[in-house]
Amino acid sequence: MAFNDLYDAVLNGEAQKATAATKQALEAGAAPMQLISDAMVPAMAEVGRLYESGEYFVPELLLAGRAMKSAMELLRPLLAASGDRPNTRVVIGTVKGDLHDIGKNLVASMLEGGGFEVIDLGADVAPERFVAAVAERQPQVVCLSSLLTVTMPCMKTTIEALTAAGLRNQVKVLIGGAPVTSQYAKEIGADGYTDNASGAVGLVRSVVSAA
Amino acid sequence: MPIGTDLLLHEEPEPEVARNHGPALGRVIERAARRWGTPLAIPLMDLRLEKIDLLTLAGIPEHEADRFHFDTPIAPSALAALCRRDAPIFRAGSLARNEALTWIDTRTNLIPVGMTIGPFSLMTRLLADPIGAVAQAGSGMTSEDSVQLAQQCLQMAEAAVLRSIRSQVEHGARAMMICEPAACTAFLSPRQIRAGSPVFEQFVMEPNLRLKRFLDHAGCDLIFHNCGELIDSMVEDFAQRLHPVILSLGSSRRLWEDARLVPDDVVLYGNLPTKSFYSDGAMPVEEVMRRTEELIANMRACGHPHIVGSECDVLFVPGAADAIRAKVEAMMQVAAPA
Repeated sequence: MAFNDLYDAVLNGEAQKATAATKQALEAGAAPMQLISDAMVPAMAEVGRLYESGEYFVPELLLAGRAMKSAMELLRPLLAASGDRPNTRVVIGTVKGDLHDIGKNLVASMLEGGGFEVIDLGADVAPERFVAAVAERQPQVVCLSSLLTVTMPCMKTTIEALTAAGLRNQVKVLIGGAPVTSQYAKEIGADGYTDNASGAVGLVRSVVSAA
Repeated sequence: MPIGTDLLLHEEPEPEVARNHGPALGRVIERAARRWGTPLAIPLMDLRLEKIDLLTLAGIPEHEADRFHFDTPIAPSALAALCRRDAPIFRAGSLARNEALTWIDTRTNLIPVGMTIGPFSLMTRLLADPIGAVAQAGSGMTSEDSVQLAQQCLQMAEAAVLRSIRSQVEHGARAMMICEPAACTAFLSPRQIRAGSPVFEQFVMEPNLRLKRFLDHAGCDLIFHNCGELIDSMVEDFAQRLHPVILSLGSSRRLWEDARLVPDDVVLYGNLPTKSFYSDGAMPVEEVMRRTEELIANMRACGHPHIVGSECDVLFVPGAADAIRAKVEAMMQVAAPA
């Protein structure tokens, strides 16, 4: 029952209900990873489907992401203690000079809801910080966000920094943000682009499975 | 068009000096209007200025303005101080914009156009999580701290925009471009609006209607700009209730279809996809010309008054100025005989 409640709470973007349902399920003996895979991931997948079909909009995505996050806060320490972790790790950040993080946060939420481990470096992230995070955390995917046309070239700089550090072949680099296009992704040597947060989940899956 | 002023500003030997110097900025604005043959002297679309001015009142230095967000509810006395009608402080960018308006008004035969961010869009820049707060308001969670903070920020934002508008009118603006790019489906859920939530009315329409009343009283025309993703009811409200002289929309809209939502005395402006002009791959010159021809033909067919233009300003893209300029020239070349 708590699984259904958690699924509904995430789908409807109700953070308090998501927390309560998670507590209830844990008290009843549910495994943290099972709550993620059987309730939260399917709920976020349905959120993504509703967004793609035009029934949900960005605010609904955000509320669902928040609900999922509130449940994850209870689960994360338990997962760390058990050593249980998702198979795919993603490093994400908004590039240097750009303070906008709404889109990046949405993508991070959707990816976490997609069952990936997400390391969020925040906004205004210098290329060397991306390089350090890749070297240290060994992700399979790096996601770069930029809202501003003036900061967009820093995506290219970041990819060049990964190449210079000898790390480019270890990771897939995905880019997104309002001014970014698939053509721009090709021009700067990124591995993929998506124009919305929901699409990021499928994109990460496809580049990881193709690797 | 703001894109023209921005392009010419970056032809200046020292663009940042010209940006903050009224007469120099006035000359750039005039040159842009002359080059592209418009009687409207449209300034830069610098939507940071009202936030900088507001935060200066709150004691936040200009260099921290971009990063700063209000994160706790504001005490009533502090809120009243930040909403003061006669707050005198304006920073360099706003002062230059005002002086440029006076320069245009007194030295040219062009129509001086003012520019401001809209109150809702300014509010979103005062909060770290504006979408969440507005979504909570839209779902009726009005007692949440985040919703109350959003309402306070909206109140401050409206006051700051009104101060900016009043000041620009006093310096000669005869039309005012209010830019509300955030009043769109990324920040306001159509699902909530269709379910009867008053969030769009309370957060977007009410403040903008009050500003429109001020402009009407001052004899200043409204040019309303929104390049965000919109649903039809939003376009209707902007066109019919705000009733601007010009309604400028983003490239996600088909203007010839929107014409049915817009009164005949509201000129539609736009809406070539200038946000992607920087990329020759995504938007080659030939595609710009094709889209311009298509837009002109469709607008002629529907018979609604229309000015060909950009969907939005395009802020400077390092290394792409020539690509952007070539497409602006191509767009204007196609439009010229029309």
